[in-house]
Amino acid sequence: MRKCLIGLAMAVFISVGFSRSASAQTKQASQPPAVASSSSDSFDPHDLSGVWMQDRPRLGRVIERYWIYELTLEEPPMTAWGLAQYKAAKSSFGTHSFPIAETNDPIYHSCSPTGFPRAFFHAFPIQIVQSPAEVIVLFEWDSLRHQIFTDGRAHDTALGPLWMGDSIGHWEGNTLVADTVNFNEKTWLDRIGHPHSDALHVIEHIRRVDRDHLEDEITIDDPKAYTKPWTGKIVFALKPKWTLSEEFCEDIGSFENIEQQETSPAK
Amino acid sequence: MRNRPLGFALALAIVLSMSPALFAQSKKPTEAAASASEKASFDPHDLSGVWMQDHPRLITVDARYWVYKFTMEEPPMSEWGEKQFKAAKTSFGPHAYPLAETNDPVYHTCDPLGFPRIYLYPLPLQIVQTPTEVIMLFEYDSLRHHIFTDGRKHDESLGPLWMGDAIGHWEGDTFVADTTNFNDKTWLDRMGHPHSDALHVVERIRRVDREHLVDDMTIDDPKAYTKLWTAHQIFALQPKWTIAESFCEDEQSFESIDESGAAPAKK
Repeated sequence: MRKCLIGLAMAVFISVGFSRSASAQTKQASQPPAVASSSSDSFDPHDLSGVWMQDRPRLGRVIERYWIYELTLEEPPMTAWGLAQYKAAKSSFGTHSFPIAETNDPIYHSCSPTGFPRAFFHAFPIQIVQSPAEVIVLFEWDSLRHQIFTDGRAHDTALGPLWMGDSIGHWEGNTLVADTVNFNEKTWLDRIGHPHSDALHVIEHIRRVDRDHLEDEITIDDPKAYTKPWTGKIVFALKPKWTLSEEFCEDIGSFENIEQQETSPAK
Repeated sequence: MRNRPLGFALALAIVLSMSPALFAQSKKPTEAAASASEKASFDPHDLSGVWMQDHPRLITVDARYWVYKFTMEEPPMSEWGEKQFKAAKTSFGPHAYPLAETNDPVYHTCDPLGFPRIYLYPLPLQIVQTPTEVIMLFEYDSLRHHIFTDGRKHDESLGPLWMGDAIGHWEGDTFVADTTNFNDKTWLDRMGHPHSDALHVVERIRRVDREHLVDDMTIDDPKAYTKLWTAHQIFALQPKWTIAESFCEDEQSFESIDESGAAPAKK
């Protein structure tokens, strides 16, 4: 009945960097995640498709594991409004975490949509699928979807404020530039409670740097919450043997334990 | 701020068959008819595109069964199934309960709807294909149905799932999708027909012409039903559409929509 939870606990545990062999097992990889070097040199830089996982070294201190709850190690330059929001946020994550019972994280207790770009900070894989008109990022976490239209359309402001935003993209050489606007204000920017307003504008420069790695340089432009645009970079590794599974927020009764593991210093 | 629920309300009102002109506006199918040459050629193994249930405009609530159940005929329930069905207080169909009294598991919590119930939301779905998967992306609640076509077997270790564990293969031009491993937290449809964790759904999906997809779905659940029963769904290709964001959380105005769904149409 609760095997799913064990799987989840394991996935989080693993992404925090404890056990590569266990990772292969959970995701049904019959071989280690590493790809044979012979195939490493051939890839189409405009083909982003596949299952990808944040690629981080195994680190011991919670502050070095910032990537599971925020975009950069440095504090972004907040406005007075932004700082007030941030101070009011009681995250259950990171170095100064609140107990789950006291958190005001908008996704707790309600499982409302995590939003973009926060979905990147939930330590689960993503899958990218491409069609001639779209690049679609599927998040394992909560079945979320980041749909980037590449057919030349403009932003559609008629869609109303969205949880995941409205995204369009185009190629500049080998870099996919994705532009996302039209957000609602119901989500946090990340898991630690950095704020954003409905003026949030996210620009991604996504590049397949080699066959096995994808870089997403994310610029956050939100003049209401931040004094200037700021940038962070996420690096993903290709997981050729993985597939996405089901990870709904509703199944995470044991989230508390997992979070405690993540937020307490590693042994 | 509330544009999105309005859009949703509109879409729903429309599929409930009030105004095809409005519908066209909302989804922008400006040139519905493809050129004759395009019509003639299609690859029957290519299911990709945006699809919408294809139903004539019908005026009685019984004839609009397809927004809340799979067949007009009552499926052959077991004693246990009948008991579950009688306990279900749906807000839909000819004998609808007011929202305040419904025990529909998705109300008030926005839990995942589960499969196959997700088909009954009158919003489009998009199919994308990779060499190893057919993926259905449902507009409603960002749900998705990954059907693995790489020859794998069902993976029992994944635990009971909301959307099930799906594998598929081609038999000639028919795509056969087999889904098992469900939890028993969801209703089979919006009427409250039950299913158990023994539910087994077999779909025979065929692109009968360039613009139509037929899904003959067999429901096999020996705990809830005395024999197998079958539903027949038809989808029409919507070449100018894209799927948008429609999260359950945005439907505070659901109540009035449901009431209009449950009440007989005016014309």
